[in-house]
Amino acid sequence: MSTTLTPASPPETPTLPTSEKPSGRSPMAAHPALWLFPVPALVLYVTFFVIPTIQGVVYSVTDWDGFSPTAQFVGLDNFITIFTNDDLFRNAFSNNIKFMLVVVVFQTIFSLVLAVFLTRNSKSSVALRSIFFFPTILSSVSVAFIWKFIYDPNFGLINTVLDAVGLDQFQSAFLGNDAQAIYWVAITQVWFHVGQMMIIYIAGLQQIPQELYESAQTDGASRWQQFRHITLPMVAPATAIVMAYTTVQSFKAFDLILGLGGNPPKSSLDILSTRIYSGFANSQFGYAAAESLVFMALIASITWIQRRAVKATNPDV
Amino acid sequence: MRYQLTRRAVLAVYAVLVIVPLVVVIFGSFKTSQELFASPFAPPTDWQSGNYQKVIGESGLGIAFRNSVIVTGLSVPLTLFIASLASYGIARTTGWKSALLFGFIVLGMAVPAQANMIPQYVQFETFGLTNSLFGLVLINIVTTLPIAVFIMTGFLKTLPKELFEAAAVDGSGPWRTYHSVVLPVSVPSLSATAIFLFVIHWNDLLYPLLFINEAEKRTIPVALLSFQGEFLTDYPLLFTGVVVASAPIVIAYVFLQRYFVAGITAGAVKG
Amino acid sequence: MSDQNSTLSRRRLLHGLGAVGLGGALSACVGPTITSRGSGSATGGAAAQVLPPVSDTPATGSVSFAHWRAEDKAVFDTLIASFVKANPKATVTQDISPSNDYQSTALQKIKGGTIGTAFVAFRGAQFVNMNKAGLYAGLGAQPFVDGYFAELIKAGQATSRAQMGLPYQLVFNMPIFNEDAFEAAGVGSVPTDWDGFLALCETLKSKGLTPIAWPGGEPANSGQLINSMAMNNMPTDTAFADIEAGTRKVTDDWFLAMLKQYQQLTPYFEANSTGTSSEPLQQLFASGKAGMLATGSFHIGAVRKLGAKFPIGLIAPITVAADKAKYEGIYNATFILGVNAAGTGQDAALKWVEFLSDPVNAAVYANGTSQHVTVKNVDYTNPDLKHNASWLAKKTLLAPRFQFTNLDIRAAVEAACVAVVGGTSPDQAAEKAQAVIDQKRK
Repeated sequence: MSTTLTPASPPETPTLPTSEKPSGRSPMAAHPALWLFPVPALVLYVTFFVIPTIQGVVYSVTDWDGFSPTAQFVGLDNFITIFTNDDLFRNAFSNNIKFMLVVVVFQTIFSLVLAVFLTRNSKSSVALRSIFFFPTILSSVSVAFIWKFIYDPNFGLINTVLDAVGLDQFQSAFLGNDAQAIYWVAITQVWFHVGQMMIIYIAGLQQIPQELYESAQTDGASRWQQFRHITLPMVAPATAIVMAYTTVQSFKAFDLILGLGGNPPKSSLDILSTRIYSGFANSQFGYAAAESLVFMALIASITWIQRRAVKATNPDV
Repeated sequence: MRYQLTRRAVLAVYAVLVIVPLVVVIFGSFKTSQELFASPFAPPTDWQSGNYQKVIGESGLGIAFRNSVIVTGLSVPLTLFIASLASYGIARTTGWKSALLFGFIVLGMAVPAQANMIPQYVQFETFGLTNSLFGLVLINIVTTLPIAVFIMTGFLKTLPKELFEAAAVDGSGPWRTYHSVVLPVSVPSLSATAIFLFVIHWNDLLYPLLFINEAEKRTIPVALLSFQGEFLTDYPLLFTGVVVASAPIVIAYVFLQRYFVAGITAGAVKG
Repeated sequence: MSDQNSTLSRRRLLHGLGAVGLGGALSACVGPTITSRGSGSATGGAAAQVLPPVSDTPATGSVSFAHWRAEDKAVFDTLIASFVKANPKATVTQDISPSNDYQSTALQKIKGGTIGTAFVAFRGAQFVNMNKAGLYAGLGAQPFVDGYFAELIKAGQATSRAQMGLPYQLVFNMPIFNEDAFEAAGVGSVPTDWDGFLALCETLKSKGLTPIAWPGGEPANSGQLINSMAMNNMPTDTAFADIEAGTRKVTDDWFLAMLKQYQQLTPYFEANSTGTSSEPLQQLFASGKAGMLATGSFHIGAVRKLGAKFPIGLIAPITVAADKAKYEGIYNATFILGVNAAGTGQDAALKWVEFLSDPVNAAVYANGTSQHVTVKNVDYTNPDLKHNASWLAKKTLLAPRFQFTNLDIRAAVEAACVAVVGGTSPDQAAEKAQAVIDQKRK
């Protein structure tokens, strides 16, 4: 396992292929038939992905209910409503942001801590890595069921344990507590994906030259100082990947929310993707399409801000 | 010394946090509700297989299992094939057109599935592709193409050019080069991508939830979710469903762990 | 593709691009025709189709029966067997989704006509939307409609009074109670006013029971309690429809008074009730540890399956003084049977609906599932149905929560009740809900 922990290529932000250097150019490279190879992918992608995306823009300026043969053009009304007069959308948005912040912070910290403790390829480390990685391969619905039981206020694991050790004053309704519900789901999400992020960190940590630590030790640096001044800056590229991936993931937590909160979830668990899905259920296709576009724009801008932030702090990433 | 203690304590606590719920699930699948609620952590007093019979037989999870095998079994190789063709074409061509093509396809990774579900639903319905396993295969291919192209193009670009040039000198056309040179050397990246796609396609909930009408055509995650019906919120039964639904992936994980780690990590790193 | 083919590649490339273009052309015809603003949209759909009277010849073909009652599957299988016996060339398959999923996805899934040639709808939002979408083929011309209680099938009528669907189940969406537990606690008769109800809860609590098991964590079922809480608090029987219409508000005094009563009930619900779903509560109730289960008569069957042996009665909290009480309880006519206007197979589906409407078959359904039906002349032999038959004659109100036709609004109103139990002040909860109502009202 240890041999495969280093990803095929060094972790770096994706770059578009650019023209190769003239020196490396082979006359055979531009064989015209090569242009045919992407055609099947392109046809499928354009037909079933790009066109629906454009279609979504068309729906978003209508009041279409999803079943009538006609729909009325409503201009930007849907967008105006979303931004100025929709508490449910705002609630889903704020839940989503809370969820994202908690998941990004905790998942990043926990995965780094676990990775630091398991960097060396000893037998026990390798075994623990595969245990910690395990939840990642389960389906969201499975994870949701497991945690539904953990959080069940009457028979669930946490309240049962608290009761058994005489700490029943700490018992909670968990998902039933409107103010906390989304954070409990965030904890589940962290449990679900921390192992995956740990592996990314381990790959990054293993690339740090051992000599750096050795010379720091001879200088008398403490473990914390070594972590602070060597490990942290050296794994910055991995941190960038972990945070970017975790952010996008936290907007895709649809399955987990539906599994834990039911379909449709109550407002304390509503996030943007489940809100859009409710539009489907309530026969408000036009409005939901407008919400989808706002959702897309939001993810695009968060990704962009993150990239900028990473670039600003780590020019070499 | 203090470092070692902290390290052990943290690792032990986290191992407990991962293992205990899984053990509760496995034990629970052999219990009755009453027994699960009374003593969730204890091994079942009587290992009953009743839940398994019920889940596989009556609940329709058996059919869902078959459907998932069909959908995943077709989606993964087809996505790999179409994406590897595209990646090969992109990796071997140069210039702004190639870059544009790559950028155009890869842009799809930035669009979350939930943001596209409504128009895709309308389109698939119009074409008669809803309520069909073929429609699910198609949507699986379409939604995972961008990331598969991204991963594999990245890989193909790391291959030495001499490999292709040698093939060209031998008189191979692009197609022959693809299947006699590119495919064989791509086995590690194809396997890793395959695992990555396997996990996504097997576990996908959104599209089957949207597209599939008939209970007979449900895949595993939807069947599992529908367990949560008003009267079937029976934890032992849910746990049995979880065990059955996860079995293929867990078995694959045990034997192909290195590809899992490589594939899922590649998906994250490149995604 | 060999070398020689490379000369053809440009043409092939054009073909490929042609395919892309074709995809584009195909997709252009997807979705609705868009009319300009103010041109008066043509919504409302085509004139509803009315099916000709059912024929006497045996049905042929297959029926896909879409519904949400997984727990009734076995009973329906029995009924299907006898239907097929009478109609050897017909088949019926059940297509069951859990009730939450059914509520949110059934319209889209059924409208294509491949599944749900015969289907059902919840009273309220779903029936209204399904009817608007033209899913119901009219049943007005069917002779078997006369076999139903006319008063009970009004919920299956369009605004034009045309009979589109037939509500089949007659359920009581009000708390059920353990009669033995009440007796052991020394409760002689069911309280007839609010003080009496609170005293009852206190007595049950002092005996170590959970007075009211309430699934506050599960929106679909936690909302059932609002029916009985509202029935005597509402200024008119249509107050919930008025809230949706905007002529009344949840910040009105009567609604706030009701929220305060939820607050008073809080100590009598199970601990952490806002996070609890029905299944554990059915267990709790079946094991005799809860006095009441605040969902409805439709859970009696499930509780019996979990081993409850005690007699089960129906009880609604009377929220006012005894002389001010207009209603004793709640009923609902739901599971609105219909024949799908889309697709083929209406004949067989109609035969199946006719079959279910037969008093003998309706009795099989009712007795097998512990639910009353809206069909006349049904012989109830199930002990629970017999036990609670007196409720058929009592002063009951048609469950008001289904007056809401917008699910976001209903969810907001019901969430206000849950929030109050969770500790939010009634004023705050009501204001929050009213904000959503104002926004989602059309």
